[in-house]
Amino acid sequence: MPDMVVCVKQTVDVYQLKPHPETLAPLFGQAQSKNSDFDLNALEEAIRIKEKHGGKVYVVSAGPEVKPLLVRECLAMGADEAYVLSDQSLVKADGAVTAKVLSAVIKSKIPNWDLILCGEASLDQNSYQTGPRLAEIFNIPHISYVVKLEIEGGALKAWRSVEDGVEVVSCGLPALVTVGLEINTPRLPSLLMIRAAQRKPLNELKLNDLGLSPADLEPKARSVEVKALKTERRRQKFEGKPEELAEKLAELIVSNLGGRR
Amino acid sequence: MNALVVGEKIDQTASLANYLKKNLQPEAIYAATFRTLTAQELEILGGAGVRKIFQLPENGWLSGGAVAARALAELVKSRGLEFVAIYASKKGNEVAARLAQRLDASYASEVFAMERMGEGVLVKRLVLGGGYVESVLLKEAPRVVSAKFSSEALTSGERPEVELFSFEGEAPHVKLLETIKPERARIDLEKANLVVAVGRGFKKKEDLKMAEELARLIGAELGCSRPISGDLKWLEEERHIGLSGKRVRPSLYIALGISGQVQHLVGMRDSKTVVAVNTDPNAPLSTESDYYFVADLYKILPTTIEILKKKLGS
Repeated sequence: MPDMVVCVKQTVDVYQLKPHPETLAPLFGQAQSKNSDFDLNALEEAIRIKEKHGGKVYVVSAGPEVKPLLVRECLAMGADEAYVLSDQSLVKADGAVTAKVLSAVIKSKIPNWDLILCGEASLDQNSYQTGPRLAEIFNIPHISYVVKLEIEGGALKAWRSVEDGVEVVSCGLPALVTVGLEINTPRLPSLLMIRAAQRKPLNELKLNDLGLSPADLEPKARSVEVKALKTERRRQKFEGKPEELAEKLAELIVSNLGGRR
Repeated sequence: MNALVVGEKIDQTASLANYLKKNLQPEAIYAATFRTLTAQELEILGGAGVRKIFQLPENGWLSGGAVAARALAELVKSRGLEFVAIYASKKGNEVAARLAQRLDASYASEVFAMERMGEGVLVKRLVLGGGYVESVLLKEAPRVVSAKFSSEALTSGERPEVELFSFEGEAPHVKLLETIKPERARIDLEKANLVVAVGRGFKKKEDLKMAEELARLIGAELGCSRPISGDLKWLEEERHIGLSGKRVRPSLYIALGISGQVQHLVGMRDSKTVVAVNTDPNAPLSTESDYYFVADLYKILPTTIEILKKKLGS
């Protein structure tokens, strides 16, 4: 019966995010938050392991403003309990700070666990850091980019997708695994599950509870500027009868082949 | 500042060294490798400006990120290295993050540009789905980056000296049981001159035949958005174009049934000309295309293919 910790980050919904037309800075105020995509794949995988082998699933989330509603979504999917830390100073957190805070929550609140699962990267930062950093802190093996996972007799067997194909690897527990969207499709919780999740414990923590102070949250990698990429395109739109469009499309393809075939 | 470069493949290591030499001008560039290099590989690294090579035990790379990171950390500490650039392959990213944690270093991942800024190093990386560039300042040494630069022509130079470096101590390791190679010959999407890419606008796997036929007719490689290779598994992962897949830069990019989520756009933005077919007039790809056809691909593609057959000969 493996006990599992899943780290879930709340990020801005990058699919909704628009840049300021002149400064090109992202307009965060106009986009909503969501649970980072791959983290939900990690949670789904933990819940599937629990359904097969038993154990408990803990969700840990830290950020400048963790929204309880989104944590409830994780509980509704099937997590048993959540530990949450909201602190404004995390707005400028780098990978080191994030890993420090998450590991502090795990160390102080979840004494026994066998497996930590994370998304391979977050929707907003795309850093591929949190998982490997946590594994280094806990001095345990980690397996990233996992597309299939089996757990048996205190050991993991994982299929990881890398450039050269798929590597099949194994390691003992405790361990850390990171996953992308290939591994599963996260379930959408039913109304019944959402209602049941209201009674599950959602523990809100303060920096003090973890023995941390704001000074511990100073990043080593400092974000200086974020600006939208701009591409220059002709942006010609064609609408109309399918036959005419088909012909125009063929014409454009031929004229852009550049004499090479 | 002295620097260490690490890549899984020799052209990756060389591209890092070349970029550092040009943009950060370190006093010395060293390379770390986890296997014995051939004479030709040594000459390539020499040509890229590498002064010396540290050869680490091969199992350091094979036993998972923790062992590789431990070995590199010992090397960095014992030689007083101030800057480490690891090629941002998937494994490179894992090793770099563990190494940065171990060294308590300033770290940025998936970097595509670097410059000196005062005493620090300013790096650029893509964030927020790939639609935005973040500039990050790595103020204090040691600094670690995982980075990818477009590779330049490799030149040969004098073979650098090789020093064997072994380290003491244990690190948590994983066991590699087997590597399953893709069945088909590897395709190099990133070097393709013409790309036909497919997305969720295709309703069934069989319908991709239309796109395959178009690609065959014009001699293009076939690519796809992430759902096609990821969720649906209609195409191999190596055809996935986007933030966590391939970055293509063809002269012509034909997007069929792709709406253009930010993660996809980052993979095709460097295309010279973009032609797209999509039913949604306001899909994000509409502003990222040169020619955007608001149409049902099922209604126009068969006719387009017939016309092309006549024009180009099937």
